[in-house]
Amino acid sequence: MANGLTVIHHFDDSTQLCVLNMLYNVGSKHENPDKTGFAHLFEHLMFGGSINIEEFDTVLQDASGESNAFTSNDITNYYLTLPANNIETGFWLESDRMLSLDFSQESLDIQRNVVIEEFKERYLNQPYGDVWLKILPLAYKIHPYNWPTIGKEISHIENATLEDVKSFFKNFYCPNNAVLVIAGNLDFDVCKVLVNKWFEPIPAQKIIKPIYEQEQKQTEARSETVYADVPLDMIVKAYHMPARTNEGYFAADMLTDILGSGKSSRFYTDLVKNKNLFSELDAYISGDVEAGLLMIEGKLSKGVSMETAENAILNTLNDFKTDGVSNSELTKIKNKSETNIRFNDMTVLNKAMKLAYAWVLGNIELVNTEADSYLKVTKTNIINMANQILIPTNCSTLYYLSKQNDTK
Amino acid sequence: MTLNRKNAPAIIEIKSIKIKEAQENELANGIKLFSINASNEEVIKLDLVFDAGIKVQDYKSQANFTSKMLSEGTSKYSAAELAEKLDYFGAYFQTKSTTEEGIITLYCLNKHLNSCLPFIVEILTDSIFPKNDLDILKKNAIQNLKVNEERNSFLVRRSFNQAIFGGESIYGSYSTETDIELVSQDQVKVFYQNHYQKGIKYILVSGFVNNETIEIINSNFGTESFTKYNNLAYNYVGNEIKPTDLYINKSNSVQSAIRIGRRLFNRNHPDFREMQLLNLILGGYFGSRLMKNIREEKGLTYGIYSAIEAYPFDACWYIDTEMNNDLCETGITEIYKELDRLRTETIGEKELKTAKNYVLGSFLRSIDGPFSLADRFKILKDFDLEYSYFYEFIETIKNTTAERLKELANLYFKEQDLTRVVVGSK
Repeated sequence: MANGLTVIHHFDDSTQLCVLNMLYNVGSKHENPDKTGFAHLFEHLMFGGSINIEEFDTVLQDASGESNAFTSNDITNYYLTLPANNIETGFWLESDRMLSLDFSQESLDIQRNVVIEEFKERYLNQPYGDVWLKILPLAYKIHPYNWPTIGKEISHIENATLEDVKSFFKNFYCPNNAVLVIAGNLDFDVCKVLVNKWFEPIPAQKIIKPIYEQEQKQTEARSETVYADVPLDMIVKAYHMPARTNEGYFAADMLTDILGSGKSSRFYTDLVKNKNLFSELDAYISGDVEAGLLMIEGKLSKGVSMETAENAILNTLNDFKTDGVSNSELTKIKNKSETNIRFNDMTVLNKAMKLAYAWVLGNIELVNTEADSYLKVTKTNIINMANQILIPTNCSTLYYLSKQNDTK
Repeated sequence: MTLNRKNAPAIIEIKSIKIKEAQENELANGIKLFSINASNEEVIKLDLVFDAGIKVQDYKSQANFTSKMLSEGTSKYSAAELAEKLDYFGAYFQTKSTTEEGIITLYCLNKHLNSCLPFIVEILTDSIFPKNDLDILKKNAIQNLKVNEERNSFLVRRSFNQAIFGGESIYGSYSTETDIELVSQDQVKVFYQNHYQKGIKYILVSGFVNNETIEIINSNFGTESFTKYNNLAYNYVGNEIKPTDLYINKSNSVQSAIRIGRRLFNRNHPDFREMQLLNLILGGYFGSRLMKNIREEKGLTYGIYSAIEAYPFDACWYIDTEMNNDLCETGITEIYKELDRLRTETIGEKELKTAKNYVLGSFLRSIDGPFSLADRFKILKDFDLEYSYFYEFIETIKNTTAERLKELANLYFKEQDLTRVVVGSK
């Protein structure tokens, strides 16, 4: 649109519902390192009423709708699901909170408390809940991926002021920093009228994107040891991997599938079942837009030393690099990717989110080529990726030890 | 033309809802197959349902470990080979045991269904339950239990269920470390023979289902290797238990987990549907009174909700939250205040209307797509109900009054009937 808002329409008449997905191109990586947790705190404020609408949720629920949102390192994503014939209520709500929020000190005070409670409930009061708070600053020294979306520490949330909130809104919550996806049982022509009616009048803003430095290549192994009140020792290894827009991303994703996803994976069959050194051991990728992390994490079986456990992981990685990928392994993970994509594409909400995310990556056509990107990966690509990134100098290791073991 | 943003767009109320029903077929051997064809993507979810729940076990954890061990090997294939075969076709194979049933679920693409099913046939006819694999699963389960016992949310749920249902009831029964240690290979084998091999209760297939799909299922499970299950009677033991207050001290907790509630009736009771609405208004959605008061106005918690958990033989209703140890008493006082308001004040017209609209919308969402439809159908099977139940639900919700909800609050939300469990540190 003229104001810079990107709009994507996806028609599906197999459902009676319609989804509005609004993605703002702002995540925790855009935060000031001394004021972290802000993008996520802001997400909470977006439900506290806007300039013309006092209660967001009451209006939505009255129209039989439901809504939620999430914040990541890269983006903040809001979604509403409504019966298709009530979708205009969604347009009203979503456009009004883009126009302006109803900023109040009281609302900020309350949501600050709510987020602090969330911090405690999910990161402090859970066994192993603070793993990400520990591993990220170890893996990233400069890049803003070095704090989790909840924030570095509670004091950052406590110190957020109404001025901070207003300037954050002004800078990031504008049509030229967002994509709107309408997916479901709504005709294109009707949709176009509604989009123009509700979004056209909202002016573009000048956006100042914070500049942050890119992470330098890691050149030596890093590690940290922590003790916590947990029953089992845990090991977490984080390796730097390519960005989402790099072809290597798919090879790295498939690498984790071979190593640690499901009961036929190498980690499970060898280290959980055969040797039983771990009660669980997984490999996965963080899935960020920019260069992210390939993670290996496992809980050690009682009585197994950290040294034995870590060597076992490293041996499995070495064996993998030597043996290579078998034909059946390759077919298996390609079939798995296909299953995952097809099952994910079953709901309009998932499709809407995927379209919005593809826009962030710079090309909405990616929703149609994702499957091919996995199919294209060769055995050599995967092994090269393993040789390139699964090396000690690219790794940060967290030894998360049980205090309980210590005393017994 | 200036847009007046103060004016809300007109709302169209949900008048009637049409539910896509499951089709009933019979396999060649008489086993019932229910199918829901409602997908554009060529994907399949297949559930095989057995009378193999906790309710029919002779030893604690017997049903659970039999279920877990189903993927651990047959005389032809080891656990790793079975996993490899199913993973090869990109399939997801899951087994679970609930209080009532053992359920085997396969997710796969239509094009791989015929390749995957023979392995499930193999599992159901020829599992050998290797002792070594059982020992590893037991060890891992014990370690998992230890991690769970560090979670206040787990502890509060366990203590609450034990307190309101009693340890005798299948709904209040939890396995200890010792119970898990005592599970033997023989117990698992016997349970398999008596509860997985004596017949399939029914099969439920959802996704992209056509004649070919049904033929594939029939050729795998319609043979004489499988039999139709004959319903066995079950005598549920549910004791009347007096409400209690429990405090469980867990040092080093930052927050306390709180659960307050009682035993209730299930879907077969005439008041159940209206209680769902009353519960929703109290704590069943983002706009609920508990969320508004305790989270959105006071910022005491990240989340608070109330829920009815209905099982075929029993049910409970509870309020659940986690908050700072020192604010716990304030929070509990507010919870009781909200219950009192429901008993003494009549719910306003607008609030009632919003709640009703929300319930209808959420029902519409719950029948969107084949797997949601399959979940709805499963509820009907679990409680021995017909589709008319859902249509009546919609009518009941539309017609119920604020007066009636107040009456229900006075019947079922009485403070003296409530059990309270808090896990935290003082």
